Amino acid sequence: MRRLFDRLLLRLRSLFRGQATDEALRGEIELHLQEEIDALVSRGVSARDARSAALRAFGPRGAIEDACRDTRRVASAEQMAQDLRIAFRSIVRQPTFTAVCTLSIAIAVGVNTMIVGVAADVLFAGPSAAAPDRLISIQVGGGSHTSYPRWRDLEAAGALAGVAGYSIEDAVNWRGPERTLPLVPMIVTPNFFDLLGVPIAMGRGFTAAEARPEANPAVVVVSHGFWRSKLGADRNVVGRSLVINGQSYTIVGVLPDRLRSIPGLGLSPELYLPVSRALVRDLDEPQAAHVQLVGRLRPDQTLPEGRAAFATIASRLAIEYGDTRFGGIAQFEPAGSTSLLGPMASTINAFFAVLVIAVGLVLAIACANVAGLLLARATTRRREMAVRAALGAGRRRLIQQLLAEGFWLALFGTGGGLLLMITLDRMLSRLPLPLPVPLPVHLRAALDGRMLLYALFLTIATTLLCALAPAIQATRPSQLPALKQDDSSFVHRRWTLRRLLVVGQVAVVMVLLAAATIFLRNLAHAQTLNPGFDTTQTLVARIGLVPGRHTHETSRELLESGATEISAIPGVAGASYAWAAPVIGGGRTTGALIPIEGVGQVQALYETNFVGPGFFRTMRVDLVEGREFSADDRRGRPAVAIVNEEFSRRYFGGVNPVGRTIHLPGPNDRAYPATVVGIVGNIKHRSIGEADRAAIYEPYAQRAGAPGTVHVFVLTTREPSQIAATVARILEGMDPSASVNVQPTRQALSSALMPSRVAAALLGALGAVGLSLALVGMFAVVSYSVSRRTPEIGVRIALGATRRNVIALVLREAAVLAGAGAAIGSIAAWGGAAPLAMFLVDGLDPKDPATLAGTALLTVAVSVAAGWGPARRAMRIDPITALRAE
Amino acid sequence: MSKPSDLIQGTLDLLILKTVALEPKHGWAIAKRIQQMSREVLQITQGSLYPALHRLEQQGWLKAQPGVTDTGREAKFYTLTAAGRRQLARELESWERLSTAIGLVVREAE
Repeated sequence: MRRLFDRLLLRLRSLFRGQATDEALRGEIELHLQEEIDALVSRGVSARDARSAALRAFGPRGAIEDACRDTRRVASAEQMAQDLRIAFRSIVRQPTFTAVCTLSIAIAVGVNTMIVGVAADVLFAGPSAAAPDRLISIQVGGGSHTSYPRWRDLEAAGALAGVAGYSIEDAVNWRGPERTLPLVPMIVTPNFFDLLGVPIAMGRGFTAAEARPEANPAVVVVSHGFWRSKLGADRNVVGRSLVINGQSYTIVGVLPDRLRSIPGLGLSPELYLPVSRALVRDLDEPQAAHVQLVGRLRPDQTLPEGRAAFATIASRLAIEYGDTRFGGIAQFEPAGSTSLLGPMASTINAFFAVLVIAVGLVLAIACANVAGLLLARATTRRREMAVRAALGAGRRRLIQQLLAEGFWLALFGTGGGLLLMITLDRMLSRLPLPLPVPLPVHLRAALDGRMLLYALFLTIATTLLCALAPAIQATRPSQLPALKQDDSSFVHRRWTLRRLLVVGQVAVVMVLLAAATIFLRNLAHAQTLNPGFDTTQTLVARIGLVPGRHTHETSRELLESGATEISAIPGVAGASYAWAAPVIGGGRTTGALIPIEGVGQVQALYETNFVGPGFFRTMRVDLVEGREFSADDRRGRPAVAIVNEEFSRRYFGGVNPVGRTIHLPGPNDRAYPATVVGIVGNIKHRSIGEADRAAIYEPYAQRAGAPGTVHVFVLTTREPSQIAATVARILEGMDPSASVNVQPTRQALSSALMPSRVAAALLGALGAVGLSLALVGMFAVVSYSVSRRTPEIGVRIALGATRRNVIALVLREAAVLAGAGAAIGSIAAWGGAAPLAMFLVDGLDPKDPATLAGTALLTVAVSVAAGWGPARRAMRIDPITALRAE
Repeated sequence: MSKPSDLIQGTLDLLILKTVALEPKHGWAIAKRIQQMSREVLQITQGSLYPALHRLEQQGWLKAQPGVTDTGREAKFYTLTAAGRRQLARELESWERLSTAIGLVVREAE
């Protein structure tokens, strides 16, 4: 093997580096002459005579050089070309065989390159910008975001080539031709386009001068997807205006297709808007969290130098601000790496790792298929191989020939796979990932140089995986003397390479299906989980209020009157409102030291929500004790709060919370007292699968933060979806600039299960692809076995075997193979399932034996069914014909 | 001076393999060694050594490594590989057979 490799290297070198080897050859000859001259001179010959004597002794130099070159050329390039030519002819002569092999590989390579492409795009690709390797993601002062005034100071200080900021947080409302849509824009600092050099397809990016917040900029850059789907791909779109949050913005540019945004992860905001007072109300607040920072190193700066320069500026500013926290740099890393995501990154990485493994397995199944077919073909070609060997082809040359055939199959297959990938990518580009929040995420796989390189690697790997083992097997010396005799039809080996391949395929399919089943069970299980509130008879409306248009008080009035008006609709049993919708959207987790009357200080971690009167009754959350909020709990009245059972259990230590005062953390680090008036049942807050969390509720009227996205809840006595349109009309009528989205709670919750759904669908699809490929393999092996055993079966029938016996004989073979595969697969799935637990609902066991047994049974049943066709053929064997052929 | 064609076909390979079997050598040293050992009877055209060397290298019987000559020059040194050693044994055996056979015929003819 080692030697083979060395020779391959030599040949490649002579193929690709002809010039260099020529030079080496000339050097070698020159050295020879020098040695000869030295030897002659030491014997007393004069230097001039020595030279000519040496040349004479050497012989005709030009002819010798040519001869040396010939030894290489004949051995390498020409032989290879000849092998490829012969292999191509041999492959084309068998179109069905070639088509089946090509299709197998194409399907596997298509899904493989798609998933690997998406994974590479999400995990490794840098942002689309000028010199992206000099871009640095920066976090300063302990938070992920920095305020606008402080960004301005950092930028003005000039530690780096520049610092820009962006944020993707709240939705804005775009007044479309039919209805107002919430879109999550990228809000950027004025210098964003100037500094980053983001590519622009049409028009231009806004400049730092025109986008100053003081100038109240009304310009917008739109994404390619938005331009295509929402603006009718209008070529003259630059200069048109969009109504965003009730204000008119002029389109100055359109971004190119496949733009990778600065935060990456497939996030592709439709609108890029400059920071302005209209979008960010507390623009002058130095403590606010406005933008995430992205800096650009100066050309002469290294990362550590940039960091040091930036740290100096930050600590100087920290003294100026009198804010010591500001001096600390939490992050100073190249932009676009997933490590910036913190804990979410590991889940995303793991998710893609699972998928990449799965598509690798699918490719392995396809290769096993092709290898099986090549093995079958090799047995019918034993005569051809024997003739070639007899005519003087060495074993290596025969293997090379068979590998060349495998290479063509792999090349066709990979080519087809890339076409499939491009098609899949087109489809993906047209539908955004359905996420619970209107976050614009598009996953793309680009056919670029790196992808072509990967495809080349796949071609070579596929060639070796498919063709090497069959080639070695087919050219084994014991196989070759087939010229003399035909192979004996009664020799029946049980565990040939082909059979082992099928066993392997079944095992791998089993693993894929088991993984898909785990996610399906997760989905089913999650849907039966009780979130603690009503999902069947309720509607939830998400209302996006335009920032700055409402004060806390006017938003309460709007929600209050909306709820009152909705309550009057026939079929409505009640309506209320809240800041966050549990599981569906919003919410806040707080960790704080809370003094509790009669208990003392407790370090508590809890969820917070601000709810309207009647919220718990509307959502049918159990009121365990005390009362819920009423219209009287408003500003100016004593502050009240409601805790859930989990909070009471964890932090009150057996004391009845009702009537006690707790001190909640308020604005400007000042705690304020609130009296607990009730205890409610636990509900889910972040995800359906979570363990119970502690929670504190406060009246919306007393303590909601600045209004952005708020929710209205409706309890109905009819099918909720029938009332959704009426509810939407009422809410839209209250404030036309607000975006309103009304859904039955059941439906809104289903998008919270999206990750599990996507995983189940993807793995299920991969499992199905794998299963169908494995079925082809099983069918081929059993068919082949039947044709080999035709005389044997003929004898059996002649001796009185019934049809039932014959079918059993054939199916038993399929069952043994499938059974062995399923057994190995079950063990592998059992061992490999544990890491999947991180994706699953709390308390769901990924190693459930019943699931594994079910999957195994299904796999075996389907595989045995693949043997049914050949079995029927075996049944119809005519003993007389079969024996005569022998 | 004899031409390489005076050598029986395939003998040059055997001579080269045998010469390199002892220790790695560069081209000139191989030529000198063959001349010396044959007591100057075999005068091969030095240049004709090289196509043979390159062919043996292609076949994987010889491996080239950089080295320094006695005169201090950097040169390509040829070494016998494991496969080359087996080939040498084969060629030696067939040479023995051939030379015995020829010896018998020639003596018979006398």
